[in-house]
Amino acid sequence: MKPKNKIQPLYFVFPAFLIYFLTVIIPIIWSVGYSFFSWNGISDMKFVGLDNYIRMFFDHTFQGAVANNLKFVLMGSIYQLLVGLLLAILLSHITRGCNLLRVIYFVPCIISSMAICQIFSKMLSVQPQGLVCFILEKMGLEQIALLANSNTALYTITLIDGYKYCGLYMIIFYSAFVSISKDVLEASIIDGCNLIQQYRYIKLPLIKNIFSIVIVMLINGCLKTFDVFYILDNKSKSTEMVATYMYKTAFNSADFGYGSTLAVFLVIECLVAVGLINKLLGSAKGDEAGE
Amino acid sequence: MKHTKKHFILKSIFYILIVIVVVIQIYPIFWVVCSSLKTPEEMTYTAQYSIPSSFYLGNYISALTISNIPRYFLNSVVVAVCTLTGIVILGCPVAFVISKVKVKYAGTLLGFFLFGMMIPVFACLIPMFQIYNMIGLRNTYWALIIPQVGFGLPMCIYLYTGFFKFLPDSLLEAAIMDGAGMGTVFLRIVVPMAKNTTMTVLTYNFVFVWNEFTYANTFISSSDMKTLPIGLNDFVGQFGRVDWGSTFAAIVISILPTLIVYFILNKNIIEGMAAGAVKS
Repeated sequence: MKPKNKIQPLYFVFPAFLIYFLTVIIPIIWSVGYSFFSWNGISDMKFVGLDNYIRMFFDHTFQGAVANNLKFVLMGSIYQLLVGLLLAILLSHITRGCNLLRVIYFVPCIISSMAICQIFSKMLSVQPQGLVCFILEKMGLEQIALLANSNTALYTITLIDGYKYCGLYMIIFYSAFVSISKDVLEASIIDGCNLIQQYRYIKLPLIKNIFSIVIVMLINGCLKTFDVFYILDNKSKSTEMVATYMYKTAFNSADFGYGSTLAVFLVIECLVAVGLINKLLGSAKGDEAGE
Repeated sequence: MKHTKKHFILKSIFYILIVIVVVIQIYPIFWVVCSSLKTPEEMTYTAQYSIPSSFYLGNYISALTISNIPRYFLNSVVVAVCTLTGIVILGCPVAFVISKVKVKYAGTLLGFFLFGMMIPVFACLIPMFQIYNMIGLRNTYWALIIPQVGFGLPMCIYLYTGFFKFLPDSLLEAAIMDGAGMGTVFLRIVVPMAKNTTMTVLTYNFVFVWNEFTYANTFISSSDMKTLPIGLNDFVGQFGRVDWGSTFAAIVISILPTLIVYFILNKNIIEGMAAGAVKS
């Protein structure tokens, strides 16, 4: 439809534009600006040029955080991708109770990270003995404080994070499987295709696009992970992520300048990662462009 | 005959695997509900996995009376209602203009808003903190509502434009023929027809707003203004001793609204989550 005059549509757009501009766009620019200053929030801001960036590259905690974060991206992505895919495959083969199961699988996704972390920190605690340690003891294994031990904490948190989010990927894969045309599958069965061949040659290639989307989501999500790691923080460096380090630098140590530098790094890291994955999966994306 | 038997075995294996996963997925929640109904003695002396012997509500009473949980609940409700209203009232008209009104800048506008989906909130946290501190918005509802509306808009606009694409233009043209203005068309035709999408936007955002942690943890320090996710940490007393009974009761209280909304409207939530996730 045509607007009566040029002003009228602006009434519709302007309020949202204003809020969005003020809360999303301005702070990003502001963050980039802060990253060139040294500032503790109280005293005067001091322009330090690229010093913060130079400091970042020689900061051992930061290097550790990046390494941890990459480890987490790798483990978390593979774990969530495989579990989500497996659940979706299982679910797409059953008929009875499918909807109910889908609803149940998804429950951890809608519960707050705080609640999930509280539940698991109790289940995993050694003193007082939590459920997991109880089981370990009964099985005759040594009890370890999975969250407090710096050797196991990262893996444990990866599992907890995966527990929360794998339902989401299950739903995405499941809707992709369901949308595959029945004709194609029936034709393949008539041609004598068994179940494994069906996945290998028909179903998985057909949902290639969804794969690339999920991979982008997973890597992007894992790179900027925050909640679970922040809440379950065990005060050791083994679970430090870039986002948690940035948060602590800014809000616990009141080093806003350096914190902003880390925030800028996080944004660039995410954008570069997404760009890279899209490039690597370029062929898959190419098919999608035709739609 | 042989084929069906093989089929049957395969199906059974699938079902067994599925049940195992479901048990794993649901057990922590079942466990927390059970634990919240245990008496302090039971909590200490019986095994962690045991089922409560009676229906003990003492934990709930102490969570509700000793702590500030009712207040947090109220705060969470206020923030959620205002944020959701804000997102829909601001976002829906923009999507309408982008997809149904002939303006030159429609494409640019959509791109501008969708850009926000790629931005991690951490990029904006420090300046937001400074700004809210300066103008005295810290420890107010506004500090939680404004950023969540801002970051919720991209998704909302994306979902609405997706729906408006399928809304026939002829319908709007007919109304214009009858002399309706843009405002009337929007309020009388577009909004009622988009009811389902609105439901999706609301439920999808509800889950996020209700569970929101980062803003609340950053902008709120006064105990009167905390929301539920932050308030769950209240029961960690001095020396790190945790009142687990009350904590469990509080967790159950905090997840109950999401579970209720979810079981009634799960179609909308799942749809929104999947669509939102795929886009961002």
